[in-house]
Amino acid sequence: MMPVRAWARAALLAAVALGAGCRNTGPAAAPPAAHTAALERRYFGDSSPPSDNTFRFNNGAEPEIYDPGLAVGQPDGRVCRIMFEGLTVPDPVTLAPLPGQAERWESTPDGLTYTFHLRRGLAWTDGAPVTAGDFAWSWLRVLRPATAARYASMLYPIANAEAYNNGTLADSTQVGIRAPDDSTLVVRLSHPTPYFVFMTEFYTYLPVPRRVIERYGSQWTRPGNIVSNGPFSLVEWRQADHFTFVKSRTYWDAANVRLDKVIAYSVEDLNTSVNLYKAGAIHWTTSGYVPSQFIPYLMQFEDFQHGRYHGVYFYSVNVTRKPLDNPWVRRALNYAIDRDAIANDLLKRTRDPWGNMTPIPYAGYEHPPGLTYDPVRARECLARAGFPDGRGFPKVAILFNTSEDHRRLAEAIQAMWKQVLHIDVELSNQEWGSYLEATTTLHYDIARRSWIGDYLDPTTFLGLGVSNDGNNRTGWSNPRYDALLHAAAAEPDPVKRMRTLRDAEALLLDEGPFIPVYHYTINDLVKPYVRGIQPTALDTHDLKFVWIDHGFRRNAPAVATAGNQGQ
Amino acid sequence: MTTFILRRVLLFVPTLWAIATLTFFMVRLAPGGPFLAERDIPAAARAQLAHTYGLDQPLTAQYTRFLANAVRLDFGPSYKFPARQVREIIAEAFPVSLELGVWALLLALLVGVPIGVIAAVRQNTAADTAAMGLALAGVSIPNYVLGPTLVLGLSLSLFLFPPALWQGPESRVLPVLTLATTYVAYIARLTRAGMLEVLRQDFVRTARAKGLAERAVVMKHALKLGVLPVVSYLGPASAGVIMGSLVVEKIFAVPGLGRHLVNAAFNRDYTLVTGIVLFYAGFLMTFNLLVDIAYTRLDPRIELS
Repeated sequence: MMPVRAWARAALLAAVALGAGCRNTGPAAAPPAAHTAALERRYFGDSSPPSDNTFRFNNGAEPEIYDPGLAVGQPDGRVCRIMFEGLTVPDPVTLAPLPGQAERWESTPDGLTYTFHLRRGLAWTDGAPVTAGDFAWSWLRVLRPATAARYASMLYPIANAEAYNNGTLADSTQVGIRAPDDSTLVVRLSHPTPYFVFMTEFYTYLPVPRRVIERYGSQWTRPGNIVSNGPFSLVEWRQADHFTFVKSRTYWDAANVRLDKVIAYSVEDLNTSVNLYKAGAIHWTTSGYVPSQFIPYLMQFEDFQHGRYHGVYFYSVNVTRKPLDNPWVRRALNYAIDRDAIANDLLKRTRDPWGNMTPIPYAGYEHPPGLTYDPVRARECLARAGFPDGRGFPKVAILFNTSEDHRRLAEAIQAMWKQVLHIDVELSNQEWGSYLEATTTLHYDIARRSWIGDYLDPTTFLGLGVSNDGNNRTGWSNPRYDALLHAAAAEPDPVKRMRTLRDAEALLLDEGPFIPVYHYTINDLVKPYVRGIQPTALDTHDLKFVWIDHGFRRNAPAVATAGNQGQ
Repeated sequence: MTTFILRRVLLFVPTLWAIATLTFFMVRLAPGGPFLAERDIPAAARAQLAHTYGLDQPLTAQYTRFLANAVRLDFGPSYKFPARQVREIIAEAFPVSLELGVWALLLALLVGVPIGVIAAVRQNTAADTAAMGLALAGVSIPNYVLGPTLVLGLSLSLFLFPPALWQGPESRVLPVLTLATTYVAYIARLTRAGMLEVLRQDFVRTARAKGLAERAVVMKHALKLGVLPVVSYLGPASAGVIMGSLVVEKIFAVPGLGRHLVNAAFNRDYTLVTGIVLFYAGFLMTFNLLVDIAYTRLDPRIELS
């Protein structure tokens, strides 16, 4: 029990630290002299609330699949979370797990067994009860090899889950998931996972309706077929256009769900997304659906939100190629990058400079010193590698997928390396599919990459450096690093665990297979009358907590009067 | 006439087969694959997916199965959207593109042809210069400039129309205007050229000599032949405009077929690319055939045999 609570409390602290710098919502924070005209200048576009209780937002790219067990990616996951509810739900600000379908849970002192107690009277939208058996079936479905769930590894903390998923274990009863009765779910883990309860918020862990899936197969998610257990149910879907959800009557907490309807549009184009927002056709752009060149301008408006995101932009170095196999060369490249200049001049502070692989504060985790700009040291490292003053350095290329933003950054780094190290690098861009092929098969020298963490723990980033991990894609392999991550996984003491992970990150930064450049930020627009959407580190939001403040415009002058009276 | 049509339709078969074969192999030759992602897919899952889609079979077996299914217009499920059949995606997106395209073409004809006629009849006058100047501007301004400009002016400043999304009649206005402009300009220029050519011919002089009013000469006699270049242009143009425009669909968030084709190519969605390409090819050939038939109606000198 102790580790869980400690973890949750620390996550709260971390999230509060993150929240610093985000906007104030609501008229209460408005300056006393606010009046209608000023209101228009403070917000980007139309700020009058809609007459109905329908929340409209841009969900971004069209979801590939919105079956929770199979979904991958932010837009897909968001659609799943609107309809389904897991054992726990994320706190709207801190993301700390709040009771969802489970009303309480406890863990054994060794941190290896978790028992979840479901609420009484939970129901699917067709009226059938939601049971612990539904969760067990849903999780085993994700792990069953025939399901081919791309995110199955999210369940690997569970005992024997990995072996069952990759086919080495055929007997599903040996997987650590058990439902002794309809309202109790017992999960046995393979190693202590302090963030396990938090993971149950994730969409791969959502329950799915067995009867419906067995009846309709891959067509079960269609409106008309689909049955869900969350705050909203799907009534309409038009591909590449929109999803319509209505409030579910069978949801256990329906009394506290304040929206009647949710419409999620699939608008890919960033400019179009902002146009729709300005006109008031959507109330929220979601992060990423604002063109990056608009951000410096939008920062003056109160309905623009900016915050830290759990993602890192980095350069990946192919260590199987000469001269990049030499760690001194990688150190030289690392020290020659002026991250502050990139963040200030090139990115206009829309992203923050970052010299670590793990992008945000974590409970109990102290980041090792990040990489800094040090031209003298960079030249020393290069000389030590056998290329004094860059002499004899072979030509290498920076690979990026076709995009103006990536090109500009690559050009800046190319210039820095030329100026500091006197070496020439080429730029090479490829379209997405070719770029993926080149990075996965190690047909590149240095490549632009990015990584978004799935859960608030350093391992979601540090896992990239493990030998032969499918996401490593550098050829880098270090037995000491692997041993550190292994030791951390087996460590029951959270303090020692974080210390071991810190050593691992320090080693990773020193060895330099990955060169972090900046960490991602949340940038979105939310109408001032929408309540309950704050930037969160994982960009997840439970729409259960969202509502439309219809009194928003009327409230504003009232605040002004109160302020005047006070003077 | 009937034999002509029959022969042309029979020619569709080898043409479509060649296109199907080329697309099938070309899309597979492109680097990457449908199951390659920024985030690694576990080997077991990837093998299972390949098996589900028959990608673990030899290429020849895949090809024969593809041809056998294609004959029945069954291209299988999309790789990117596994819960949807390619056929279904086309059936849902095509009517949207069709509606947008038909409105744009109608507008282009209704505006373009009269402008072209006026310019030809008043050749070398201020009206001609103005019309052709407009046409030049229309051809020169790309969609991705015109679209956002219209949004800024008519939607975000004057609040006349919604800035995007395909819902309700008023949402059609801006995408149709944007898509039509290029065609208006092109059709005006073609009409003008065609009319100038025809107005110099003997039968027009005869008509004038008989004392027919100029209006009747132009509208009744000359126009029929003068628009022939427009008609031949309409074949490929309609196929193109109706199959959807990537740029217009993106700017206005229109759920049409154009976006699907381009995205499918980037995603290496083998089945969706092949399905849409074949659909497009069939459409283009049908339209060219219709144009040839229309020619015989408009120009009595042409005979199909």
